Amino acid sequence: MINAGRIWDTWGVTALLLLLLLCTPVIAPGFLDIENLQSVLRESAYVGIVAVGMTFAIASGAFDLSVGGQLALTSVVTLMAFNGGGTAAAVAAAITTGLLCGLVNAGLITQLRVPPFVATLGSLFVFRGIAYLLTQDGPKTLPYEQIEAPFAKIGSLDVAGLPVPFLIMVAVFGAGWVLLRRTAIGRRTLAYGSSPSAARFCGISDTTIRVFVFGLVGLTVGIAALTYITRVWTADGSAQDGFELKVIAAVVLGGTALKGGKGTLIGTFSAVFLVSVLNEVLVSRGVESAYQRIVLGCVLIVALTVDGLRTRFAAPGSFRRASRPTS
Amino acid sequence: MIGAIKKAPLLAPLVLVMVVLAVSTDTFLTRGNLENVLVAAAILAVPGIAMTFCLAMGEFDLSIGSTVSLAGVACCSALIAGQPPAFSLLLALGVGALIGLANGVVITKLGVTPFIATLATMVIVRGASLAYTDGHDQIVSSPGLKYLVAGRPLGVPMPIVLAVVVTALAWWTINRTRFGRWVCAIGSNRDAARMSGLPVDRIRIAVYVLVGLSGGLWGLLISSQLQKGNGQLGLGFELDAITVVVLGGTALLGGRASIVGTVLGAVMIETIRNGLNLLNTPPAYQRISVGLLLIAALALLALRRRERRGAPRVLESAA
Repeated sequence: MINAGRIWDTWGVTALLLLLLLCTPVIAPGFLDIENLQSVLRESAYVGIVAVGMTFAIASGAFDLSVGGQLALTSVVTLMAFNGGGTAAAVAAAITTGLLCGLVNAGLITQLRVPPFVATLGSLFVFRGIAYLLTQDGPKTLPYEQIEAPFAKIGSLDVAGLPVPFLIMVAVFGAGWVLLRRTAIGRRTLAYGSSPSAARFCGISDTTIRVFVFGLVGLTVGIAALTYITRVWTADGSAQDGFELKVIAAVVLGGTALKGGKGTLIGTFSAVFLVSVLNEVLVSRGVESAYQRIVLGCVLIVALTVDGLRTRFAAPGSFRRASRPTS
Repeated sequence: MIGAIKKAPLLAPLVLVMVVLAVSTDTFLTRGNLENVLVAAAILAVPGIAMTFCLAMGEFDLSIGSTVSLAGVACCSALIAGQPPAFSLLLALGVGALIGLANGVVITKLGVTPFIATLATMVIVRGASLAYTDGHDQIVSSPGLKYLVAGRPLGVPMPIVLAVVVTALAWWTINRTRFGRWVCAIGSNRDAARMSGLPVDRIRIAVYVLVGLSGGLWGLLISSQLQKGNGQLGLGFELDAITVVVLGGTALLGGRASIVGTVLGAVMIETIRNGLNLLNTPPAYQRISVGLLLIAALALLALRRRERRGAPRVLESAA
């Protein structure tokens, strides 16, 4: 059955992205240069990877405000591990630290029964605080002599013209899509998001969902840290301040409902690029960063207004936005 | 006495922290230091109280940090342009109220969720402030602006006077007026509130204007303290304001509000910051302790609720 609203939910942002790309030769000549495109793909990767985890979190009806702190802490620990034990240690450290952060959040939520919003707001302070403590005598860096190490190559290597961070991001999105659409735990996450109490009556356990979702967010942060840190080469407690809002904005712009119960990774993917392409276009037009913020904020409001009006007209007479079924 | 403790669960830990600090440092209990703590707490309490209304309604306003910056910039640039202080102060409050009005209209009339709408205005307003100042400080030396922080009517520092007035007004509004009850009614069930004929949209807009106004006042106080305005002021303040409210025990899901709790939350946070400063701990510990405090407060609340009900409580997400 063809349902225009449903198609818009999944593909609307993608259409906007394509439209923007079609306009780029006119509004930003030079944007479609290979080098420029590669740099856009490279820079978007770490936001995109975490956005996969965040899509699951928001689809389950919660958000994780601590991803900025997690990324800072994971990056710092990863650099320490690399300087101490090389590539393998760094990769292991990144994944473990990210996963641990996520499990700490899950523990706070399921064992101490703190609502996710406050639990992750609190752990945001804590993770960032620990990252600050670890970098009290200066930020951790990737030494220049190590430029040839396999680890340092993650951020700069291309395979068949495609940057490795982008390939990692695509892989994470693919795995995420399979998890969300083709496995039981994915369906359960969506079910839990549309109605936690109904899901509970169907035998879905709070603990399983929370541990899965927040663990997944942590894992994606760990992977993202690998691509992030090999791009910027340095990290301290203040790394990526405000990261959580960037990621959440991308997920919501993509069409995942904040109320939970609905998640679209295709939308998230396109939204990540919509934001970064728009940013790049504004930069190439010489728009100052202060005005870039204004444009981005307006885009966010316009996109969500369209969504808000559509759901309002789609359900005439209803008092509340209908909580939409999974798409 | 027991009743007071039950109503303000933060009181006991606050007293405990103060006793510990009084014993472990010889400067905490001095008149000057206590006054510093209270002034800082007063400055934080004002926006916290407005945010209490917002959370009681079950919503957030993330744009308040940017409002602080733009309001401060508006006031300082008006002063630099030679406008009288009264006009400049009103201009800043007007800017705050306008941002709040924009939030309210976008949320109620365009149907954008509060989280995203205020996230977007946060980015837009911050951009406007940075663009207007072009990255420069706007330094002023105006006795009128200075008075907001340094003035002492009847010997009491001005921010404390402001906070006491705001607290009293807010307490009265929440507990004794129709508007206060309406805000809580919307927070506990918006559909029911609408069906019983409350002007839900107008109330929500009014609350966002209130938060915007308090952001304007916060900006004035901060600019008055620093004697300048710039695009970087107020970064991350939105989390401070929300933290204070949550610490004070206002339910995240709406429906209840504790003004006294919010004030105690502000005093608690500033006491801990002050104490850690006096004990010469690195600033990183301040963040960690605020985070842990937040988690501990909510975990305790959840624990008490569970004991009362005798069964694990349904966990709902706060979105």
